[in-house]
Amino acid sequence: MPLPQSEFIVNIEHVSKHFQQGSVVVKAINDLSLTFEAGEFAALCGPSGSGKTTLLNMIGGLDLPTKGAVYLESQDLSTLSRAALSQLRRDRIGFVFQAYNLIQVMSAYENAEFVLALQGVPKAQRRERVMSMLEKVGLKGLESRRPDEMSGGQQQRVAIARAMVTHPAVILADEPTANLDSENAEALLDLMETLNQKEGITFIFSTHDQRVMDRAHRLITLRDGKLDTQRYKKEKAG
Amino acid sequence: MNLVGLAWKNLWRRKRRTSITATSIGFGVFIAVTFSGMGDYSYTNMINTSAKMGLGHISIQAPGYMQSPSLDKQIHHVNDIQQRLATLNGVEDSYVRIQGQAMFASAHKSVGGAFLAIDVNSERAEHNLFIRSLVEGEIFIKRWRGANETLSGIVIGQGMAKKLKLRLGKKLVYTTTDKHGDIVNGMARVSGIFATGVKDIDNSVTLLPIQTLRETIGYSADEASVVAVMIKDQRYTDKLLKLVQLRVSELGRNETEVLSWRETQSEVAGMIRLDRSSNQVSQILIGVLIAAGVLNTLLMSVLERTREFGVMMALGMAPLSLFALVVVESVWLALMGLSVGVLVTVPWYLYMNRVGIDLSGSIGDDYSAGGVLIDPVLRIYLYPETILMILFTVLMLTLLSGLYPAWRAGRNPPIDSLKAM
Repeated sequence: MPLPQSEFIVNIEHVSKHFQQGSVVVKAINDLSLTFEAGEFAALCGPSGSGKTTLLNMIGGLDLPTKGAVYLESQDLSTLSRAALSQLRRDRIGFVFQAYNLIQVMSAYENAEFVLALQGVPKAQRRERVMSMLEKVGLKGLESRRPDEMSGGQQQRVAIARAMVTHPAVILADEPTANLDSENAEALLDLMETLNQKEGITFIFSTHDQRVMDRAHRLITLRDGKLDTQRYKKEKAG
Repeated sequence: MNLVGLAWKNLWRRKRRTSITATSIGFGVFIAVTFSGMGDYSYTNMINTSAKMGLGHISIQAPGYMQSPSLDKQIHHVNDIQQRLATLNGVEDSYVRIQGQAMFASAHKSVGGAFLAIDVNSERAEHNLFIRSLVEGEIFIKRWRGANETLSGIVIGQGMAKKLKLRLGKKLVYTTTDKHGDIVNGMARVSGIFATGVKDIDNSVTLLPIQTLRETIGYSADEASVVAVMIKDQRYTDKLLKLVQLRVSELGRNETEVLSWRETQSEVAGMIRLDRSSNQVSQILIGVLIAAGVLNTLLMSVLERTREFGVMMALGMAPLSLFALVVVESVWLALMGLSVGVLVTVPWYLYMNRVGIDLSGSIGDDYSAGGVLIDPVLRIYLYPETILMILFTVLMLTLLSGLYPAWRAGRNPPIDSLKAM
């Protein structure tokens, strides 16, 4: 398939995703086309079952479309092998999950270091980058704590540090504030907004949270797997 | 990625489960050492003892002698054969002997039995069960015939002494056949009495001086019925058998056949084979149980971490790396199990090797199996290769048990694993 000529970091072209549930075919995404530019701070919103998480998973190469194509930095994800997709996620994508999904046996430092270690970055360099990132997310001094010794907000900060430390092209955050109280949610959003503005990293959220929607520069509303509305609120970073 | 460190941490998520599995692996090592050690010790003991009963680990005989032993089947040039074997690496010693059947009669009674004629000057006690088992008198009596020293006398078993009502110094007449098949008699005074502990042997076997017997049965000084070869380590019997065959054949005379203890002591060989097979079956069953335990531990641990594996794959960990992670976990488990095994087994091994358990009370007074004297003290001894084999088997068993869970870990697409609770 020829690569589309585009400056978009993510290009979604006529994507459909159907799931078989018993004898019923569920159309989670239905012929959706969408693009994201580098440096965006965008939120996918819509009611439950509208296809936000499914779309996020396809952008991240965790799931493949039934029809259509998802391009990340002009690369058609459906043409990549499992190993190549792993490599792409490792090098170009950062994930922040609703349930933090830190590795329980690892300390905050080790969790943040995990992807750098997968990339084979030398130890000294890893240390420098991880310590700097943990400081940026406000976790200086908590490096050796394990997930079960940290609050939800602190765990989500570790997850953000883990996603950010590799300087990915895009960070995909699935309901990142869903398990946080207001104070922690606001602090986390401040942090992500600052990182977006200072580092120019693209953030794509899926969310129900009004606070996230308020901060997003673009709001994309999905309904029944289709694009419902799209609204630009601010200029993108950079 | 430090898979080794991560695997170690993962194992300690469930401390009790890991400890129990490592202990069960250690128990497997303990059982394997005990069973294999009993085998290594008792088989070696039986083989060496049977070799010391006359025919050696390797036996050079006239063709057909083994099938129907008879004094008209003799080998010649025995001194040349001995000389050729003296320089063979792995051979400890070789002995020229004459074996045969005879009737033994005292003034009171007569019994059938066997004689083993030996050159007592060249025999070493550690290679001759009868010399080592002497309880009364001496092995033959030196006499001077002119300027030549000769040996006379007969050494009989305690059982035969009782049956024939003989004691030291009493006369005994033996009747046998000579090299031509004619009946001949010899007379000797009892110079010694041995007690091996094996009733059949003590009732029927006698020792005679080889030179005296040669004169009686018409053998020349270079003839005998057997050259018994004692080797340093019975494990190398087959290798040395070929070398002995080669050395003997180099003499250019075809009137001999070279047999191992497996052929000359077929009853012992059969018993060892049977015992070893049943031992192996027991060990395989224990191995299967241990493997099932390891499989269960690793599989449970993998299934519990399905979501975490999904996260790892989402973050960019390759499925092959996940496979490697679980394999490393199984290596750790194996090493822990082996360490537990070594800690538990070493004191047990040292005790059983040096002291053992005396079973003489439960065995009775006949310490024999397959016609061979056995040690009534239960001991264990392991050859280095057996130790390596046990360690290697346990390691491989644990690794193999970890392969399926390892495959499971990286099999699911990350999106499915992430959905797991």
